[in-house]
This record gives sequence, C-alpha cells and structure tokens, in this order.
Amino acid sequence: MNYNILSYLIGEGFKNVLKNKKSTFAALIIMFATMITVGIGLAGAQNITSVIKQLENDVPVIVFVKDGLSTSELDQIEDYIKSIEYVNNVSFTSKADALKNAKEKLADNADLLEKYSENNHPFKASYSITLTDINKSKEVIDVINASETIKESIEEIQTSDTVINGLNKADKGVKIAFFSIGALLIVVSTVIIGNTIKLTVHARRREISIMKYVGATNNFIRAPFVVEGIVIGIVATAVSILSLGGLYTLIYSKFNSVLLSNFKFELLQFSDIFQIAIIVYAILGIGIGVFGSVLSMKKYLKV
Amino acid sequence: MIEFRNVNKTYNTGTEAVHNANFKIEKGEFAFLVGSSGSGKSTLIKMILKEEEPTSGNIIINGKDTTFIKSRRIPYLRRSMGVVFQDFRLLPDKTVYENVAFAMYIVRATPKHIRRQVPMVLSLVGLSGKAKMYPHELSGGEQQRVALARALVNNPSMLIADEPTGNLDPDTAWEIMNLLNSINLRGTTVVVATHAKDIVDKMKKRVIQIDKGIIVRDDKKGGYDSEL
Repeated sequence: MNYNILSYLIGEGFKNVLKNKKSTFAALIIMFATMITVGIGLAGAQNITSVIKQLENDVPVIVFVKDGLSTSELDQIEDYIKSIEYVNNVSFTSKADALKNAKEKLADNADLLEKYSENNHPFKASYSITLTDINKSKEVIDVINASETIKESIEEIQTSDTVINGLNKADKGVKIAFFSIGALLIVVSTVIIGNTIKLTVHARRREISIMKYVGATNNFIRAPFVVEGIVIGIVATAVSILSLGGLYTLIYSKFNSVLLSNFKFELLQFSDIFQIAIIVYAILGIGIGVFGSVLSMKKYLKV
Repeated sequence: MIEFRNVNKTYNTGTEAVHNANFKIEKGEFAFLVGSSGSGKSTLIKMILKEEEPTSGNIIINGKDTTFIKSRRIPYLRRSMGVVFQDFRLLPDKTVYENVAFAMYIVRATPKHIRRQVPMVLSLVGLSGKAKMYPHELSGGEQQRVALARALVNNPSMLIADEPTGNLDPDTAWEIMNLLNSINLRGTTVVVATHAKDIVDKMKKRVIQIDKGIIVRDDKKGGYDSEL
C-alpha cells in the first residue's frame, strides 16, 4: 500500500476519534472498567493460585504410626505410601525426633517435657507426605486406609485439607465471578464502541456513499473507522495497565511484608501477573475496536 | 458499452419498476433517459451502477455481464463510470481541489498523478481559479462542475448523470449540458437521466423514454416526447 494512502487513512481515523468526544469518552470509560475488572480478577486469582502453590510445599498429609513397630514394618509402610499415586515425597520422623521437635517448638517452656524420656513419651513417629497435586489428599488417605495391615499400624492421619479446599474454592469463585463479569463487559464494550463508531459513520454516511460511487472498496472505506476503534482500544489498554500497575504496586507495598511475616507467603510481583495480561489486553483492546467498528459499519456498506 | 437484455426489476414491496427493458448504448454515444418521476428511470440508473440488482435479465457493461458479478468486484466496476447527481453530493468540509482529489485517493492514485490530474480536470470544467474554495462558496452550477470534475478525474469510459440539472436555473443547466456534450465529444459515453424537456428537444440526441417501467421509445435523434 502506498505510504500516502496509509497516512491518509490513519489520519482520518484519528480525526474521527476527536470528532465524537463524548461517545469516544464513553467508550473509553467502559473499556477501562472492563479491563480494570478483568485485571483485579486476574490479580486475585493468580495470587490465590500462588498461595496454594506455596502451601503445597508445606506438608499436606502427616501419618502418625503406632509405637513399637519394627524397622521392617516401618519400611513396609514407607514403601506402601511411596507407591501411591500423587505422592511426591515421604519423609520419616522417628519417635525420638518427634520429642526433640516438640521441645524445639516449646523452646523456653521445654522443661514441661522434662519428665519424658526418649523412649517413653506421647509423641508418635510420623511420615510427612507432600503431594504432586494438592487436591488429591483425600484419595491418598483413602488408599492408605484401604490396606488393612497398614491401617492397623497407623495411629492417626492429619491433613491441611480444609485450608486448601477453602483456598481452592475461593480461587474458583474469584475466577468465575471476575471472568463472567469480564466477559459481559467485553460484550458491552464491543457494543458501545460499535455505537460510538456508528455515530461517526452516520455523520459521514454522505461521504461513504460518495466513496462507494467513486469505486472505493469496502476495506478502504472501513479503514479509518477501524483505526478509530483501534485508537480507542489502545488508549483504554494503556490507561488500564497504568492504573492497575499503580494500584497493584500500592497494595503490594502495603501488604506483602505483613503477609510474609505472618503467614509465610508472598504476593506475586506486578510483572509476574501482567506480563501476559499486557499482551492479552492489547489484543483485547484492538480486537474490541476492530470488531466493534466492522460490526457497526455493516449496514452502511450495503450500497 | 451498456446493454440491457430482457431486464425486469420488481422491488421487495411488490412494485414492478422495470418491465422487460432492452436497449444498447454504444461506446461514445450520448443518450438521454427520459420519463416522469416514478417511471423507472432511477431504477435503470441504479441497476447500471449495481446499486440495485435486476430481478431477471442481464446487464452487460463494457462487454461484461454484471448480473452475477461478485459484490467484492463492484467497486472496480464503478471505477469505469463517473456519476453525477442532482444534489451534487460534494463533501462540505473539503475544498474544490480536495473534493476532486478525494476520488483519486480512493482508487489509490499516486500523489504525483493526483497533483497533475486534478488541475487538468478542473480546467476542463472551467474551475481552475476556484480550487481552494469550499462548496458553500460556489453557485449551484459551479458545484455541479466540481461533481463533474470528480466524476471524470479517474478517466472513466462512461459518465452517468442522474438529473444533473434538476437543481439549476435554465441558463446554468445549459452550461452543464454543453459541458456534458463536450465531454462526450472527447470520447466518453454519456447517459443523462433528465426531466429537462427543452434541453432534450434542442440537443437532438438519442432519447430512451420509459413509462411505468416499460421502454416506450428509443429514438436516435429524438425530442423529449415527440410521440406523445
């Protein structure tokens, strides 16, 4: 394509944007709202997923075994647990170590445990099991309980199930809520951008009909309006990303250290979450712009 | 150049606008299309421009049957014809020069070609001195000249004029008709749909008369209504 024609088409597109300030502004606002909503949803969901991942590294299942088992019996249990699907790693804590750990935990009040000797105390030997998939703790426990001989040797099984289930539910909920609102807003923005462009198209229908009579192709006629849509899309994307960046950085600086010291998990960096989002947003913004304008022009090109 | 073969047009509303139209306008010819309003004159023009499809029959333009032309190809067909209308249809926020250059932009002419061609065609229609003026600063006749310049700037092989003098006083109308005649003498086929009885009578050109959708007369050198 000739450079001058390209610049002509783009120039016309920019002129359109400035001509309908009110409706352009409305389109910008709705796209901004869309992107902020999707962005907040994205940040929330990504962070919850990251917290779940961080928790997965903690021990989700602990199997306490009965006292007085022989080494071969213990090996049998360990081998059995290792053979279960979804089991990632199994580490053994002996009865002696259990007492040591308990004393360490109590620290200053360790003398409370003074009366217990190494072989005579209520703490049990245990297997700490990490999983490849945090959601499968129930399945793993079921398999452990399925073997009668193993079950006999087991005192108790503990899981951090409830926390993880809660987080998983929250993760799903956040994703569903924000993305359905996001999807709705995407449709609404497409329609509103379409309407904005329809106004310019309507104002220039005379010009369009002249273009048609002189033999302009539909693509040539459409181009400035598509440019108009793209300009709106890009501006909305830029403003949204900047606002989200500011907002997120603010939240990060306020809460990350608190969360890290109290709950031992970190928030994701802005760049971690929005690296892909920026590309998605740009495509979304441009896509909505193009789609809205093509859609709104259909009627006027039928001459 | 333009040939209608058994062309019928019935609108979706049930109105039969054209019934079995047959005529052929040769290359380089000057033809008037006359008839009262609602006679089917405009429908004929619209079918030549591919704005309306015939219900049945064939329309051959420049040797090509346009009946089944793909809509994608219509712009290229239209580039072979210049069109002017009763209401001029100029862009009010563009100068005379820009209005004409616009038609060249659209067909993706090079800037160099545009700079050479636009002044040439403006001088052809007698508007050399008014290139920088806006449509509202011009008289009706001058505006129609701009429309003519725009129609001619891409060197179409035919010129279609739909009531080109309908909004003009008789003297100006004659100026435009004489201009159309001189364009025709340069080799462009000219088809003029008109009501202007005295002009048709005096110019002694071919007259195709349509009445209630039927071509009732096709005189090689006729007047507006010599038979009626």
